[in-house]
Amino acid sequence: MPGNGERMNPTTAPVASDLKSRLDPYMAIIGPLAMIVMILAFMAIAEPTRYFRLSNLNIILLEAALYLPMAMAMTFVITQRGIDLSIGSIAALSGIIMAFLIKQFGFPAWVGVLCAISIGAGLGLVNGLVITKFRVPDLIGTLAMDLVYRGFALVLAKGLVLARFPDLITNIGRGRLDWFLPIPVTIGLATMLAGYVLLRRTYFGRYSIAIGSNPEAAEMTGIAVERHKIYAYVLMGAMAGLAGVMLTGKLNAIQATSAPYFNLHVIAAVVVGGTSLFGGRASLIGSFAGVLLLSMMINALVTLRIEFFWQSVASGVVIISSVTLYTWLQRKDRDGARSLLAAARTPENRRLLRLSAAIAGAVALLLTLGWLLAGAPNPSG
Amino acid sequence: MTDARPIVTMRRICKRFGGVAALTDVDLDAYAGEVLAIVGDNGAGKSTLIKILTGVYQPTSGTMEMDGRPLEMNSHSDAIARGIDAVYQTLALADHLDAPANVFLGNELTHRIAGITLLDNPRMRSEAERVLYERIGVRLPDMSAAAESLSGGQRQAIAIARAVYHTDLRVLVMDEPTAALGPQETERTLNLIATLKAQGLAIILISHSLDDVFASSDRVLVMRRGRRAGIVNTAESTRQDVLGLIVGGADAW
Repeated sequence: MPGNGERMNPTTAPVASDLKSRLDPYMAIIGPLAMIVMILAFMAIAEPTRYFRLSNLNIILLEAALYLPMAMAMTFVITQRGIDLSIGSIAALSGIIMAFLIKQFGFPAWVGVLCAISIGAGLGLVNGLVITKFRVPDLIGTLAMDLVYRGFALVLAKGLVLARFPDLITNIGRGRLDWFLPIPVTIGLATMLAGYVLLRRTYFGRYSIAIGSNPEAAEMTGIAVERHKIYAYVLMGAMAGLAGVMLTGKLNAIQATSAPYFNLHVIAAVVVGGTSLFGGRASLIGSFAGVLLLSMMINALVTLRIEFFWQSVASGVVIISSVTLYTWLQRKDRDGARSLLAAARTPENRRLLRLSAAIAGAVALLLTLGWLLAGAPNPSG
Repeated sequence: MTDARPIVTMRRICKRFGGVAALTDVDLDAYAGEVLAIVGDNGAGKSTLIKILTGVYQPTSGTMEMDGRPLEMNSHSDAIARGIDAVYQTLALADHLDAPANVFLGNELTHRIAGITLLDNPRMRSEAERVLYERIGVRLPDMSAAAESLSGGQRQAIAIARAVYHTDLRVLVMDEPTAALGPQETERTLNLIATLKAQGLAIILISHSLDDVFASSDRVLVMRRGRRAGIVNTAESTRQDVLGLIVGGADAW
């Protein structure tokens, strides 16, 4: 019963913001999608025969599959304004414990797999407790736990490479369903789909967005903020444990130093996909596209026979460019590029230019000095 | 204008923080279908008073009654359970969630599918649409737009919809509802206050804007240095009267 007959009718929301809000869900994947198209275009010119092969597509998907479960979980962690730097160590430690259970204690393979996932969840629980109960910031807490978990993995496995596992494990890592996709790809897609249901249809997903969006409001409306943060880290740990199993199966081997870059790779894929590090903005489809993008890029470098060490450079460049593109798309006034020169003339930027010139000058000067004073070369090896 | 009996009465309320007396002997009556404005300088005790009314703080001394029975609250949720809620200046909305998700935040509607409890998004959407229209008189152009893309008035409507949906709301405290709004949005918010008042709610309006106070309130409670400096009927007083009470007359200068 609307009271005094006066009806508020706030339909005057500007059309531009309406369009923006309608585009918003897709904004997230524009960045990685544009980069994927660029890679495809480049490879179509540079190396079309070897890149566009079914077997190569298979390789790309297998590479991506390993990261999909972790990217799904990391989307929740980052949406809550958290971060998890310990997932590589969790994967390695879970994999090693599974390997010992199967090879040393004769556990059935399926029990070993479930153990790895549960141990991963347990380690994630420890992360969550450290962050919520001891109030250690996410970044420091998981960084420290990364050292702890990696240390345990080294203590357990020493320098050993544990290899040759039952079929179940290798099937999880690299098997293929006769009539469908490779098993790891199926697992990856299934976790993504489960993640989508979690995000849209459960308390956990809804509260993850609310916590990242406005922690005080979430607390005020009676949401158990700490519990849902712990849930996110438990999910993250379980998915890292699963990745440990998949990695073990893929290589049919595991060692303490396995999976060193999982954390950065997964965080990069999620952030490239448009999930905001400032919280509240989750995009699972973006995370999927981000994982695919990184896998395609690494695969392109391999196809081009570029030295392995360049992968690191390329990963960094791709991450910066797609996040820059995303931020630029989000901006309201997009005349920045046109007035680049004008921007360089502001006093603040002139100071930055002077600083850059000073550093470049100093490096150049020192290099010249070193060259002038150089003696005979003295190779280290 | 009002029923003879107030919904809530506060008598001789005192609140001390350590040695500092934030409130001294403050009386307040909230009547159904009435807008009571509370004005005063910064630090005059407005916030402390409404925090006691909404159960966030407990008074050091003094009594509160609701419908003639003693009212004791140990937390904000106690107040909500009794139908007293507040909408704060910094609205407790999750900017990245849409209107239905915000209206139901913390009290989501669910259904069970194959034994699993899932959020019932379609029902939350239709219920949110209904409560926004029927109780608050607002129709959002796009129910699935994130709160961050909505105007200040629309966000206010969502915050109030949350308050009226979940409790049998009787007393609504609005803390600076027009502070961040433009003239048009302010106008809408004042209309909204009138709508809620017509539904028999007791509205308590904290505001720095005497324009808004005179446009919407029935009575004005003036606070100064933790005391009740005066209470006037809006229709029978002028801005000068109220301003004089706020600054404490000539002696304050």
